Amino acid sequence: MSDSRFTQVGIRPLPPPLAPAPRRRRPCLSAFLLGAILLGCLLCDLFIPKDPAYMDLANCSRPPSAAFLFGTDTMGRDIFSMIWSGGRVSLFIAFLATAISTAIAVIFGSLSALAPPWLDALLMRLTEILLSVPSLLLIVLLQAVLGQPNAVTIAIVIGVTSWTSIAKVVRTEVRQIRSSEFVIASRCMGGGFFHILWRHLAPNFLPSILFMVVMDLRSAIVAESTLSFMGIGLPLSVISWGSMLSLSEKALLANAWWIILIPGLFLIVTLLCITDLGNRFRKNANRKESNL
Amino acid sequence: MSTVLYCLKKLAAFAVSLLVLSVVVFSIARLAPGDPLVSYYGDRAEKMSPAERAWAEERLGLHDPLPVQYARWLSNALRGDLGISYKYKTDVLEVIQGRLGNTLLLGGLGFLLIFGLSLLLGVLCAWFEDRLLDRWICRIGTVSSCVPEFWLSLVLILLFSVTLRLLPSSGAYTIGHAGDPADRLRHLVLPLTVIVLGHLWYYAYMVRNKLLEEVRADYVLLAKAKGLGKGAILFRHCLRGILPSYFSIIAISVPHILGGTYIVETVFSYPGLGALAYESARYQDYDLLMVLSILSGGAVILCSLIAQAVNERIDPRIRAGEVGPLV
Repeated sequence: MSDSRFTQVGIRPLPPPLAPAPRRRRPCLSAFLLGAILLGCLLCDLFIPKDPAYMDLANCSRPPSAAFLFGTDTMGRDIFSMIWSGGRVSLFIAFLATAISTAIAVIFGSLSALAPPWLDALLMRLTEILLSVPSLLLIVLLQAVLGQPNAVTIAIVIGVTSWTSIAKVVRTEVRQIRSSEFVIASRCMGGGFFHILWRHLAPNFLPSILFMVVMDLRSAIVAESTLSFMGIGLPLSVISWGSMLSLSEKALLANAWWIILIPGLFLIVTLLCITDLGNRFRKNANRKESNL
Repeated sequence: MSTVLYCLKKLAAFAVSLLVLSVVVFSIARLAPGDPLVSYYGDRAEKMSPAERAWAEERLGLHDPLPVQYARWLSNALRGDLGISYKYKTDVLEVIQGRLGNTLLLGGLGFLLIFGLSLLLGVLCAWFEDRLLDRWICRIGTVSSCVPEFWLSLVLILLFSVTLRLLPSSGAYTIGHAGDPADRLRHLVLPLTVIVLGHLWYYAYMVRNKLLEEVRADYVLLAKAKGLGKGAILFRHCLRGILPSYFSIIAISVPHILGGTYIVETVFSYPGLGALAYESARYQDYDLLMVLSILSGGAVILCSLIAQAVNERIDPRIRAGEVGPLV
């Protein structure tokens, strides 16, 4: 007789399942746009109509027209051609700088995590002091040491000054797994630092730094353009998205909006695409339903 | 007693960090190639004979070995003599004094706006999570975080100064109107907008994400069961829960916002410390550079100490000594 009660409990309608995780949009548009910009910059020699460095002094500051698609700058260079070939330089610098800073961060962070406590504390204090030295000072000094700026030295300068935040994340992640059995086993079998780093540690912390690395790419592009704009990056003769904009003081006087707006919009679209793609790599922890 | 000891400990940590910072800045500044005589004598430095150069270096105390130079700088600094600026040829403090107010006004206002608005936006987003308002704020915020500061400054100048002729494009005040607050405010609008827009989304997004995590904690369910309203839970409990980590991050960013204004100051020709630091690093103006670096570095260290102290007030769990190492 008590059975029926149990069955009644049993047939109670199930609670509705947790709200389905919102479908994540695939960043098709930004992948396509970024691909187009990358490809266009790589293959720019095939289609740009004019030599980007050629100064056509008869046609200074011309607004966009059929002859000059995006107009010309105050030195008579064709902006359409400059954007594509300048993008090649800017993107090269960004990728190289990101690679450098990621490499330093991974090695420094895991070294610090695996080191004995006193060395770990020392290394972390070092990064804190490095953080409190004004980065502008470091950049100017590094530039002075490396000599005449070119694309590679700018990339080194940006890479060397932007690794601390990733290093901190790597350190935290490695500290959590450093005493796992697989790391100890590898150590017992005589695995060296780089072997352990590459085979055992990296696969574990890569997902958590991937987003930061992509964001680093973004800030490297911004850093290059800002440095070149301020006159401490690439010289005016090497065309990049930053050095194109360094003439804009004159453009302001001439009210030549296209010299400022068009390269800037290119820059921002690239940055937006990278951000959108980078968000795919972000760990989405809170798929739980809100309690509020 | 223990409070005194605590304060002394913090003070000692502060002093040691400052000392290390000064050694680091001193050595990288002097080891970098470059001719400080150029910043003192201008173009004349290049035409000097070797004897004249030696005399000039002797006079500025530049040819002693580095440790001796550092010791001299330190003993002078402790007696309150921070040296002279090679470029302006007056006392360093005088050079800084004229500009400190400008930067503090710009950076301080910017910081307050960023602090307040980021909390407001973050709470708004968390309140309307995944609804229309939240999504649009996120979209606009992402775009705003992608715009480089220098480009935004240019576009604002182009729009408001060149085309509409509404706002001045450079300087801190119109000449002759230094004491007029309205005039100062008009000069502040554009630089302030750039600073706030450049940083705002980074902090607002952080507040939003931290709040969204906090809202999923179990105590929220309890508070709700107790009958608390949404606003009360969000403001009185969740916001309080995230404030410690938010404070420590924004405290570290105080000097970043205050001193990182150099791009804005340069584009808007705003006479502030950022532009001065940029100049002194570029032209080997050693004494000025030292004071500015220590000022900004000291601000970083001081702010993180203050953040620690404030956090311990808000969140008793962090109080020193109560939590042992977890590993």
